[in-house]
Amino acid sequence: MDGFRKTVDTNETVLKVRDLTVNFASEAGTVHAVRGINFDLKKGKILGIVGESGSGKSVTSMAIMGLLDKNAAVEGTIEFDGENLLEKSDAQMSKLRGKRIAMIFQDPLSALTPVYTIGDQIREALVTHNPDMTNEQVHKRSIELLEMVGIPNAEQRLQSFPHHFSGGMRQRVVIAMAIANDPDVIIADEPTTALDVTIQAQILDVLRKAQKETGAALIFITHDLGVVASIADDIIVMYAGRPVEQAHVDDIFYRPVMPYTMGLLGAVPRPDQAKSSRLVPIPGSPTNLVNLPKGCSFAERCPIATDICRETEPDLLDLAGRTDQRVACHRSDEIIAQNLTFREVYGVEESVPSIFEGIAREDRQMVLSAENITKTFTVNGGGFFRRNIGKVYAVNDVTIHIREGETIALVGESGSGKSTTLLQIMNLQAPETGKIELFGEDVAGKLSRKERQLLHEKVQYVFQDPMSSLDPRLPIYDILAEPLKVIGMNREQINKRIAELMELVGLKPDQVDRFPNQFSGGQRQRIAIARALAVNPRLILLDEPVSALDVSIQAGVLNLLEDLQNNLGVAYLFVAHNLSVVRHLASRVAVMYLGHIVESGEISEVFDNPMHPYTKALLSAVPVPDPQYERGRERIILDGDLPSPTEEIKGCAFVSRCPLYKQLSPEQQKKCETVRPVSEKRNTDHTVACHWATMA
Amino acid sequence: MVKYLAKRVANYCVMLFVAISLTYFLASAFMDPRSNYMTRNPRPPMASINRALDNANINDQTPILIRYWRWLTGIVTRWDWGKAPDQSSVSDAIVSRMGASLQLVTLATILSIVIGVSIGVYTAIRQYKWQDRVLNSIATFLYVIPAAVLAVGVVFFAIEINTVAGERLFFVTGLHAYQGDNFGEWFVDFLQHLILPTISMTLGGTVGYHLTQRTYLLDEMNADYVRTARAKGLTLNKAIRRHALRNSLIPTAQSVAFSIAGVFTGATITESVFAINGLGRYFVTTISQNDINGTVAIAAFSGVCTLVGALLADIFAAWLDPRIRLN
Repeated sequence: MDGFRKTVDTNETVLKVRDLTVNFASEAGTVHAVRGINFDLKKGKILGIVGESGSGKSVTSMAIMGLLDKNAAVEGTIEFDGENLLEKSDAQMSKLRGKRIAMIFQDPLSALTPVYTIGDQIREALVTHNPDMTNEQVHKRSIELLEMVGIPNAEQRLQSFPHHFSGGMRQRVVIAMAIANDPDVIIADEPTTALDVTIQAQILDVLRKAQKETGAALIFITHDLGVVASIADDIIVMYAGRPVEQAHVDDIFYRPVMPYTMGLLGAVPRPDQAKSSRLVPIPGSPTNLVNLPKGCSFAERCPIATDICRETEPDLLDLAGRTDQRVACHRSDEIIAQNLTFREVYGVEESVPSIFEGIAREDRQMVLSAENITKTFTVNGGGFFRRNIGKVYAVNDVTIHIREGETIALVGESGSGKSTTLLQIMNLQAPETGKIELFGEDVAGKLSRKERQLLHEKVQYVFQDPMSSLDPRLPIYDILAEPLKVIGMNREQINKRIAELMELVGLKPDQVDRFPNQFSGGQRQRIAIARALAVNPRLILLDEPVSALDVSIQAGVLNLLEDLQNNLGVAYLFVAHNLSVVRHLASRVAVMYLGHIVESGEISEVFDNPMHPYTKALLSAVPVPDPQYERGRERIILDGDLPSPTEEIKGCAFVSRCPLYKQLSPEQQKKCETVRPVSEKRNTDHTVACHWATMA
Repeated sequence: MVKYLAKRVANYCVMLFVAISLTYFLASAFMDPRSNYMTRNPRPPMASINRALDNANINDQTPILIRYWRWLTGIVTRWDWGKAPDQSSVSDAIVSRMGASLQLVTLATILSIVIGVSIGVYTAIRQYKWQDRVLNSIATFLYVIPAAVLAVGVVFFAIEINTVAGERLFFVTGLHAYQGDNFGEWFVDFLQHLILPTISMTLGGTVGYHLTQRTYLLDEMNADYVRTARAKGLTLNKAIRRHALRNSLIPTAQSVAFSIAGVFTGATITESVFAINGLGRYFVTTISQNDINGTVAIAAFSGVCTLVGALLADIFAAWLDPRIRLN
């Protein structure tokens, strides 16, 4: 355990994977999860493996760990330290796991055993491989590890249980356990996917540090191109169980050759640039791993596929004239010769002009006006009477105005009150304080049943997860017909409307007799949108509408939302944690923190000139799919987590984490602590709630 | 902790009082002890029927509230749970049967839990291997056999053995036959009586714990934190034993605690087959004989058992799972 920093020779290969294939037996047939992957992992380097769900990236990592299910048939070789890991028994692998090869998983909330203390779990990681360690040594090393991953009060924290920790803190503990024995290889499988963007930035920092300190090679698996741009040295892009492109990070991002790589990059909106053009969705949906097509598995979605692509599967070959770039594509030579980029390959469509184009915002009708609304939840004590012992302000004094044909995004970390705000509006009931007006009509007023139903028709909701928001036992026809029946349409009108709707969201009208599980995630979200549109609403509330979808599918749904708005003039109020998506879709944005709106305004105004320290930190935490930009970028990393909402805060809610606050004089700080900042107009279309916004 | 328990017990006492009182009113409304006498042939004179009913405080001609008050004062002042229509004391009947039930049920319950949970763990670790398949098939087979058939089967088998051995190794009725003072002989005799009902009850109980424990552990075995433990370098068995098992015992511990009440009054079938005078049979008898006081006393007893079970379940869960705090 002496001397943590190792001298790192980056040319030494620690892990060599050759012709790795993994097949699973399933009821539908053999699932070809991984179909031949080769790579060398160099000491001290970070290899990113990128792909959508089902591309085989996680299966590859589990194969290296030897932790695949028993029904997995693994072939090929995984050479580590001169030995083939695939030939080792489980007992032999157990000696390597956690000592030489360590792993970090996706969901930190479930990765730690709930019934043992953090200290016990770190101790186990140490003692399993070093049975001779004394209690004192274990204790010392545990504290050292926790401090390294940035957990304050390490000594006391050893006694805590996982449920005392937030998601970000738990992921730090998982990282501490992974680096406990100074491993040679660390595999991180989507380590930040379940975390908020501010916490993601913290964890990426910890990972980089941990990797540097141990000198280990890191395999970083993700679907997020922004994250991988900021961390990886080399990248493997996987599709349908095969690597389709393998290169240095810059080549992948600036000179991609495989049309799939281009498509992935083109499908991701940039958070740091104003929307310049439409996103390019990759047509079709991910390939079925049971019945693979004969030729290139991407051929059916590839716009430039030719006959040979459908006949034989291309091998991953070195590219002439490029160093260390390998591509599996029959048409790679042409792509390089003609210097094709995703614009030429996929063809960029023009977006439809909005029906409100040229009409100033002030002249459009107000769709929703929510003034100073508040929503509290009471906290109950235990015992027989469940006494009310406190209040949580989920939404606190929030004001939102939405006009026709525009999109307002609510952004913020989880727990900031975004979804509660949506639900509060959806309720169409009088809020606890303030006032909600829809189309000039106060929802608290006395409305007849009929009037209230009409209001309901005008506001519709699309949920995050299309898997669970559609009744699996209803065919699409019935799902779409339900809202139409409520408004009293007859059969003929319903049939006509359903055909229209299917067409509108880009689905074939003859598929209405199918059930939701016969559609892919993206198609299901389209159905959910069609259902929301059925009754011609004027306002649609979208709760994370694309976050459950794969990147290539996401772009299509975003384009659809954009077109619908431009053609129909419907307004959106949408909640998203992905700021790139927000920048692309929204025309206005409101940043929420602990139930307050801290900054709001026109989208590029807020994104380009953020004034509130929280907005600044939030934006700086968003990874950008541009490796050079990422390298030169200075991040504001917020300390800690969102404070508990039960805490009573007198002044500004952001004080505990504010970077600006720390630079203020004591008198100025006093103001932050005692006086709650009110939203003030700082610019023509930009409101900020911060006492010292001008200073930052 | 102590404060919490005291509060909890106080709550339970209130609940019990309400539940028992309601049972008393219900039983008084539905049961008709007078009919026990009216159907006798020759019918006793009305005055003596009324006297007998009054003596047991179950005369439907006395207003219900007065009967309730007398019954309640009897319990509170003298711990007297009243009389059956045949004038025998309910308290005495329950105390004597409680002993028999306790002897019968304790061992079977402990064995069921230990064996059932062990087999559940054993099969979960070997999911879909032959051991799992064989044990599961046996469990399913035993599960579908009614308790009475199972008990009779055990009796039949024991008699066969007795015949083959030419000696009475197993007794198939009662719990005791030995009348002397020698403890050794008394104990052997007790075991000879106890073994058959215990086997037939254990078989049934084991199967339940086996199947549920297997499911609980399988759920936990696929949990993310078991995978984390594996990634740390623990072998599969160690990871399961250290991480999955404890979590999977939480629901089992709770179901054990809650089953206490059922264990006493639910052994009716075994008691009938082996001719043991336990609480289960008594419960059925009280209902069929319009014994209002007996029924209410049994209901009170199972109520106490259930609430003790609930309390134990909470304590167990808090002990196993640090996320639960008892306050």
